[in-house]
Amino acid sequence: MARFTSLRAVLPAIFLFLFTAVASAAGGGQLPLFPHSPFEGTPFFWVSNSTIMVWMGALLIFLFCKAATSKMAIIPAGFQNFAEWLIESLYNFFGSVLGDHLVKRTFWFFGGTFLLILTVNYLALIPGVGTITYVDRDGGVQGLLRGGNADLNMTAAMSMTFAVLWFYWALTENGTKNFFAHIFAPKGDFKGLMLAGMVVVFFAVGVLELISIAIRPVALSFRLFGNIYGGEQTLGGLMALVPESLAFLPSLPFYFVELLVGLIQALVFTLLSAVFLKLICTHDDEHAH
Amino acid sequence: MVFSKAFAVALAALAGGIGISILGCKAAEATGRNPGAATPVLTISIILAALIEGIFILTAFAVNFD
Repeated sequence: MARFTSLRAVLPAIFLFLFTAVASAAGGGQLPLFPHSPFEGTPFFWVSNSTIMVWMGALLIFLFCKAATSKMAIIPAGFQNFAEWLIESLYNFFGSVLGDHLVKRTFWFFGGTFLLILTVNYLALIPGVGTITYVDRDGGVQGLLRGGNADLNMTAAMSMTFAVLWFYWALTENGTKNFFAHIFAPKGDFKGLMLAGMVVVFFAVGVLELISIAIRPVALSFRLFGNIYGGEQTLGGLMALVPESLAFLPSLPFYFVELLVGLIQALVFTLLSAVFLKLICTHDDEHAH
Repeated sequence: MVFSKAFAVALAALAGGIGISILGCKAAEATGRNPGAATPVLTISIILAALIEGIFILTAFAVNFD
């Protein structure tokens, strides 16, 4: 009987995949810039079609973890082995970027964001996801499922969360005095008159640093959104170029480009946020590892 | 007005393209010279490619907020 428990946990995940892939007719027009809510007018108007996709991604990750940990063994086998390999390689990768102390504190965010972005990107790429449509109140045909990251709200939410966490981690890691010293204090030792000059110069450098710190979440969210949304537009646009029966042909190569872009953008988003955190948290006595 | 918007985005795309191709060329050279350092070179080039593309994406969006 034990053998079936992991199967039972994985079954809903498989069903979820199949459900999104069931309607396989190609096609799907241009993706509107803003998501649309299938529950307009009801109190759930805030649930947009991209929110549904993100929840499905989150549910998939939850089921994956549950299936992987349903029957834990010292020598991991099958599902658990794959999950352990995945988490461990992510942990070591971020450890090499952040250093051992910092990665212990922050891996929950970076690993989780990476998996979520990757899952949501690949869920949106399942063929046929764009063809599950509903007719909204004023007669327009809208896609029920929309790529989670093809929606600026999702990417902005993630990068704003990172901005808040970055601030909290930087303050607690460095202490407030060091935090501001890290941005404004003159680096290198100067004496007398030179020091006064340097303080002014490095104050200006600090202001520039603040501006760049403020730009980062904006750049992170635009980059992820721009790439994924642009990719879906390309796929949709290419399908519209050729007659219906041949619609799959021009977008086939771009499909694999999108698979690669989905992985790279997930990696870029989390790697850049890890590097930004590392920039502010490096202490002068950091030994080269 | 519409021309200058398209021109700005086209310039940003051109700059992004050149930037990433130079980066790619140097990364390939670096990996060729020192294959042992392939992973660190890959990590750095992914970060820099993202920053370069970030400039293009920002321009593509900044152009619309007139």
